[in-house]
Amino acid sequence: MKVFSCRRDLFSPEGFAPVASAAGIMDSDGLFALLPPREGPVMPVRSTPDRTPLLELELLMSGYQQADEEAVRTLIEKVSPLLLRYFWVQAANRRFAEDLMQETWMRIHRARHTYRRGEPVLPWILAIARHTGVDNYRKVRRVEVRETQVDILPETAAAAQHFTRDAPDLDMLLAELPPSQREVIVMLKVSGMSIDEVARATSSSAGSVKQKAHRAYTKLREVLSGRGGAHEA
Amino acid sequence: MKPEEVDRILAQAAHRAAPPDISRRVIERVENVLVSDLRPVRPLAPPWASGTAFLILFAAVAAAAAAALGLHGVAVLAGEQRALIFPSLLLAALLAAAACVRQMRPAAGASLETMALVVSALGFPALFWLLFRGYDTGNLVSEGVPCLIAGMSVAIPTGILAALVLRRGFVMDWSRAGLAAGTLAGLAGLAMLELHCPNLKAIHVIVWHVGVVVFSAALGLATGSAADRLRRRKAIRRAI
Repeated sequence: MKVFSCRRDLFSPEGFAPVASAAGIMDSDGLFALLPPREGPVMPVRSTPDRTPLLELELLMSGYQQADEEAVRTLIEKVSPLLLRYFWVQAANRRFAEDLMQETWMRIHRARHTYRRGEPVLPWILAIARHTGVDNYRKVRRVEVRETQVDILPETAAAAQHFTRDAPDLDMLLAELPPSQREVIVMLKVSGMSIDEVARATSSSAGSVKQKAHRAYTKLREVLSGRGGAHEA
Repeated sequence: MKPEEVDRILAQAAHRAAPPDISRRVIERVENVLVSDLRPVRPLAPPWASGTAFLILFAAVAAAAAAALGLHGVAVLAGEQRALIFPSLLLAALLAAAACVRQMRPAAGASLETMALVVSALGFPALFWLLFRGYDTGNLVSEGVPCLIAGMSVAIPTGILAALVLRRGFVMDWSRAGLAAGTLAGLAGLAMLELHCPNLKAIHVIVWHVGVVVFSAALGLATGSAADRLRRRKAIRRAI
C-alpha cells in the first residue's frame, strides 16, 4: 500500500484558500481513497460535452507518458468534467460520481503505458471509466448487502430534476433502456462520442453499436410517442 | 416520431442533466497525487509484437513438450492430414493470440475470446470428423484420460506464461483475459497431442484432444473470475 500526502497550500493558485495537507491512499491495485472536502472553488462542468481537439488530447497523453507535469495537469483539467458527467448521468453511479472520477484517474495512471500514440484518447479513457463504474456498481451492491443501517440517514442533495410535461428527464428516458443500450446512448449523446469511438470504448464492433443505438431509438420513440399520446388524451 | 425528434429530446435532456461543478480542490488533489508519482513510462509493445510473443509461446511449448514425449502422432499422420491440421491450429492460435492482445489494452477493439473458443471447439471437431474415421467407443475413457492429462499438463504452464505476458498490459477484465489465455493454452495442448498421440480414432481425437481446449478455456475463465472476485473483495473490505 502506498500512501500519498500532498501539501495542498503549496499548489493552491492565488485566490484559492490554502487548506491543510490532504491525503490519498493508493493500494497495489491502484484503488484510491480520498477525503473529499466539497467546499472551496469549483470548476464549472459544461452542459454540453467539451470536445477538446482530439489531437490536443493525444499530445497531452503522450506528454503524460513522458512524465510532463504540465501535460498531466492540463489533461486532468480537460477530461475531468467529461468523466464526471459520464458518471453523473448514470443513476447507479451518480452519488459516487466524484469518487469514481478520481478512481478512474488512478487507473489511467497505472494504465498509461498501454496508450498508443496516434490512437484516440477518449475511447481509451472511457473504456477505463466504464470498468471503474462496473466495478463500483458490483462493489456497492455487495457492501450494501452487508450494511446495517443504525441511524436515519440525513437527506442528501438529490440530482437536479427538471421534469416537465414536455421535456422528459434523462433518467426517465434511460431507465426505459436495457443497460447495454443505455451505455451506448450515454456515450453517444452525453459524452458526444462517435460510433467508432463508442465501439472502441465498449470493446465491441461499430455494427453492434449501431444496432444497439437503433434499438434504443426505437424503444425511446415508443416511450415518447406513448407520453405524447397520454398527454393528448 | 422521427429519429431527429428523439435526438433533439435526448440532447435537451442531456443538457439539463448537468452535474454539479467539480471542486477545484478535488481536481488539484488528483493532479498532485498523479504528479507525485510521475515518471516516464515505456509504451506497451505494439499489438503485433505482443501477438507474436503469444504465438511463439504457443508453438514453443507445444513443440518442446511433443519433442520430449515423442513425435509419434505426426509420424502416423498422412500428408493431407498434416497439411490441414497444423495450419488450422496456427490460425486458431492466431485468433486466440489476438484475443489475448486485445485484453492487454483498454479500447483495443472488439473482444475475440468467445469467437476464438467457439471456432476452436466447433471447428476442430468438424475438421477431425472429415479427416479421421473410427467411432468405436471401446476403451474410450482409458485411452483418453492420459491424453487429457498430458494436454492439460501442457496447457496449464502455457496459461501461466500467457498470464505473465498479459500482466505487462493493463487487463481490466480478467475473466475475459482468462478465457482468451485458456483457449490459447488449450490449443497448445491440442497441438502437442496432434504431434505426439498416434491414436487416430475420430471419437478419441474429437472428445479428448479437443476436450483439452474446452477444459483449458473453462479453467482460464474460472481462474480469471476468481482473480476478479478477489480484487473486488479486497475493495469491499476497504470500503467496509
